Amino acid sequence: MRSKLYIYLLTGCLLFAGGQAAAQSQSDMCFNEILVYNIDDYEDDYGHKHGWIELFNTSRGTVDIGGCYVSNDRNNLKKYRIPKGDVLTKIKPRQHIVLWADNMPLRGTFHINFTLEETNTLYLTSSNGRDVIDSLHFPTGEGPFPIMDYITDDNGDHVVQKGSIPFYPSNNVSYGRLMDGENIGGDNGWAFLAKTTPSSNNVILDSEAAAQRFKQFDPYGVIMSITAMLVVFIALILLYVVFKNIGRASINSGRKKAEKAGVSPDVVAVAQDAPGEVYAAVAAALYLYAQQEEAHDIENTILTINKVTRAYSPWSSKIYGLREVPHKQ
Amino acid sequence: MENQGFISFLGDNLQQFLSYTAFASFTFGHMVMILVGLAFLYLAITKDWEPMLLVPIGFGIIIGNIPFLEGLSIGVYEEGSVMNILYQGVRLGFYPPLIFLGIGAMTDFSALISNPKLMLIGAAAQFGIFGAYGLALLFGFPANEAGAIGIIGGADGPTAIFLSGRLAPDLLGAIAVSAYSYMALVPVIQPPIMRLFTTKKERVIRMKPPRVVSQREKIFFPILGFLLTAFLVPSGIPLLGMLFFGNLLKECGVTRRLAETARGPLIDIITILIGITVGASTQADKFLQWNSIKIFILGAISFMIATAAGVLFVKFFNLFLKQGNKINPLIGNAGVSAVPDSARVSNNLGLEYDRTNYLLMHAMGPNVAGVIGSAVAAGILLGFLS
Repeated sequence: MRSKLYIYLLTGCLLFAGGQAAAQSQSDMCFNEILVYNIDDYEDDYGHKHGWIELFNTSRGTVDIGGCYVSNDRNNLKKYRIPKGDVLTKIKPRQHIVLWADNMPLRGTFHINFTLEETNTLYLTSSNGRDVIDSLHFPTGEGPFPIMDYITDDNGDHVVQKGSIPFYPSNNVSYGRLMDGENIGGDNGWAFLAKTTPSSNNVILDSEAAAQRFKQFDPYGVIMSITAMLVVFIALILLYVVFKNIGRASINSGRKKAEKAGVSPDVVAVAQDAPGEVYAAVAAALYLYAQQEEAHDIENTILTINKVTRAYSPWSSKIYGLREVPHKQ
Repeated sequence: MENQGFISFLGDNLQQFLSYTAFASFTFGHMVMILVGLAFLYLAITKDWEPMLLVPIGFGIIIGNIPFLEGLSIGVYEEGSVMNILYQGVRLGFYPPLIFLGIGAMTDFSALISNPKLMLIGAAAQFGIFGAYGLALLFGFPANEAGAIGIIGGADGPTAIFLSGRLAPDLLGAIAVSAYSYMALVPVIQPPIMRLFTTKKERVIRMKPPRVVSQREKIFFPILGFLLTAFLVPSGIPLLGMLFFGNLLKECGVTRRLAETARGPLIDIITILIGITVGASTQADKFLQWNSIKIFILGAISFMIATAAGVLFVKFFNLFLKQGNKINPLIGNAGVSAVPDSARVSNNLGLEYDRTNYLLMHAMGPNVAGVIGSAVAAGILLGFLS
């Protein structure tokens, strides 16, 4: 029972690690915001207004979405293939890209072959055409649906309701993540947003990234250097103190053992202060004296003379070997 | 008429074939990078400079700079290509901890255990990292990129790859190549600085031979070492954990085969993969940029600061040590973690001034402490800047 539990735990850890290990690949892309009815909002390069889908790169590395698929049909995940070879499909770290849902794929890489009015489900599939990277089911029909927004006040950054819409799709109202790439707050991280933010962050908080804050407060790296060097020194001083004492204890215990065995304390002191070379010389002399085949080196500086024993291990056992000859019944 | 059609068909196909060849899109940048790759191979093969690293990296640079038409899943940056799959170990940072596992399984910490004060030299040499961090900020790099560049001063290729993969993935190629290049150049960069900061009298200081360390102490070291450092800097767990785990495999005496695999075939495989993919990631269009040149300059400076800091710290430390217990400042350079090259530099320079003064065993102490120090420093940078 217990061993089973360990196996489950191990499998869980491996799966978790596997999930974590997907950073900086197409799997780091996600749907971030959509707008179904675009009446007087964002315009494409042709001066037209259509619904759009914003994707976001959650990783800290550039991700190429060339070859990925976007679809609104679970049974046809390969409905629109984002062309490969376009430099614009390389999405910089923590950046966005807008796809135009105008059913006009001939207008360019980012114009897909369906519109958002058709269904209320979206799929983003990796370039192998099988693995769904992200999916989105957005609410439609009669509401009311609350409109949410982030505000920053004395209590810090938090989400508040700013009115509502009676039904969806509504003109120029987008449905998006409250924080880019995150699943925090709202409906699994999603809500109707107070303002559309195509190709930019859904929320810009006052709190900056740790690295930016560091540069702001410590433009020459002095504070960082002092703090970090202090930590490095503390870590190694701790090791120094611990091993200084362990060394002492080891010497003392060796001395006591030798005394118990009847060796004179003077001899013990000399032996313990003797450098490694002395032991090597003594061991080599013993080896030459005995001329035994069993004498062998196990380490660089110490010559030991031990009886060789072969410890049993199922890993090396021929009983479990794959090449075992089948037994005749 | 039919012949004409066939000839034009053949001509079109030949033209298409030519557009697929590397000649069609070969640029000056590609040529420069291929020459750099060849220079690496030359240095490795004829001068014997870190051949285990420079041969895979040099050939990787050549692989990465053969131009091709995008979209055929060939390049290291193209999703799904073989090179891209191998490169994931660099991007996701799982090669460096595996290298650390091998380093742990091949490192004998007895020099450090027998003389624990040498650990402090390993800490002092990390000044190089933070000196370069400050300079990188002055050069206009954002703090996360400055941190990734600074780690070059730790003289630890796997740590540099691990940290830049997390803090500045777009600079990873330049940082990795810079770190490994300077590690190969340790015998060239360090001696002048060591001579500059030491007197003739200091260079011939003889140190007490290290005492014999019991197996129990050697077993305690990785366990306590990991607990103490990881509790202080949890962000360094992947590197520190694997380093100390590898060492425990070596020292515990009951996992000999695992230790042999970790320090033998496993580290060799990962070294091949890391070298070839880091080399291939230096595609001319991504690598030949002003930022890469700045990174190389900063890398050199950080190495120099680290060496100088190690040597000067030993001189300072000697002020508090009794006669007979003093440390030869020529082992100060070994605080950078290029194992065992910087320790070898200490030994060779020591022998130049006293033909019977072998410093190698003593220098291995700060050298392995430098590995721990740079992993801790990487953990701190990761904790602060990510």
